[in-house]
Amino acid sequence: MFKKPIILLFSLILFSSGVNAPQTMYTVGAGSITFSSDAPLELIKATSNQLKGIFNSEKKEFAFTLNVNTFKGFNSPLQQEHFNENYLESNKYPRASFEGKIIEDVDLKRDGFFRIRAKGNLTVHGVTQERIIKCELTIKNKIVSVKSNFTVLLADHNITIPKVVHEKLASEIKLEVKAELIDK
Amino acid sequence: MKPLKIIFLFYLLSCTSKSFSQDTAVSLLSMLEKELEANKDMTVYTTATFKTTRVINGHSVENVGKGVLDAKISHRFGNISEGGYELFGLDKATMRMGLDYGITKNIMIGFGRSTFQKTYDGFIKVKILSQSRGKVNMPVTLSYIPTIAITTLKYEDPSISNHFNSRIAYTHQLIVGRKFSDKTSLQFMPTFVHQNLVTLASESNNMFAFGIGGRQKLTKRISVNAEYYYQLPSTKLNERTNSLSVGFDIETGGHVFQLHFTNSQGMNERSFISDTKGRWDMGDIYFGFNISRVFTISKKH
Repeated sequence: MFKKPIILLFSLILFSSGVNAPQTMYTVGAGSITFSSDAPLELIKATSNQLKGIFNSEKKEFAFTLNVNTFKGFNSPLQQEHFNENYLESNKYPRASFEGKIIEDVDLKRDGFFRIRAKGNLTVHGVTQERIIKCELTIKNKIVSVKSNFTVLLADHNITIPKVVHEKLASEIKLEVKAELIDK
Repeated sequence: MKPLKIIFLFYLLSCTSKSFSQDTAVSLLSMLEKELEANKDMTVYTTATFKTTRVINGHSVENVGKGVLDAKISHRFGNISEGGYELFGLDKATMRMGLDYGITKNIMIGFGRSTFQKTYDGFIKVKILSQSRGKVNMPVTLSYIPTIAITTLKYEDPSISNHFNSRIAYTHQLIVGRKFSDKTSLQFMPTFVHQNLVTLASESNNMFAFGIGGRQKLTKRISVNAEYYYQLPSTKLNERTNSLSVGFDIETGGHVFQLHFTNSQGMNERSFISDTKGRWDMGDIYFGFNISRVFTISKKH
């Protein structure tokens, strides 16, 4: 009489923990993010290869972040310094992040190519904006490749451009994200 | 009884798994942040301790970047106490034109020509330590700057035998600087000046000075700077004063404008550290500016 419910209980616990099984969690193995500012007088480009990310394919939730001061490239060392000192203020706001959920109701546990929309909070320069960002996902052999192009308005994140550099700095910055997430 | 029990169990389990999923939703980002925090094997070097390579007259702990050419034009106008006739000194000016170049991230060279005593000067600036945190934790930046200055005025008395050596002076400077916060930086500059020729036999050819300089940012692009060099009285030349300068740095993209008031007319180490004659209390104040414009010569950095 007593044994049966206990077995049932155990099997249920096992089953329920299976829902949160680790194979649905992916982390960024290699990730890069490149921004470009295409202004009339100057094109500025910089890349960080230090993108960190985590993705739960079961719940379709994700979080990405990076240290802002890891961007390299630029047209001069001084520009990089100004980027950190005057614009992104990377001492005060060391990280940029994007976390949220995938909107589409697709089964991401199987292999395939998916065009999805990610809805979440984008935090840059200490200012959080809710954004919907289109991404391309390729899932193959437990490797999730993410590709996304989107833009960020500097004004949305409280980054002001002084008048003298208006012609050298775009008000809308293009971003390109590439990441490969692997089974945790 | 039995089915009730099972339903109850299901209910309990669904509750726990629900709360579990909410937890993970919140913690995805914090999980990452923890990972980043644990990743301490990176050294973050402090940048922009000063806006430019000079505090006002003298060097700051900053170097120009590798492959970057910094063209500097500096003016010191006449004595403000000369009054309206000379437009408070603006009718007169001495200037220095200079070029600085970053050979590596830590080594830069520069030379310049001042109209004041027709002086040529050259220097090397070597950053020995860089302030950093992370894997390498270094509280200060340390730089060593040897300079040479050669005056080329006509010999005062051509009838005697003059030696070229007498035109030369050397200075050796150590700079210990620290950026205390985003806005506040401070540096100390122990300095040794050797002049091959001084006016009087009773004067010392070797002079020791101790400098202090700092900056306080007022806005993102404007800072107030000050600099003072104290000369060891026993080695100081006659009728010379200590150099005190106060000014502003205004940065606009690749330019930095420095506007200041100083009691020194010279713009190389020998002349403003050991050969300043102006006295603030007598109104011997010179208005001046430095303009710095950087050009990226080599793109590999």
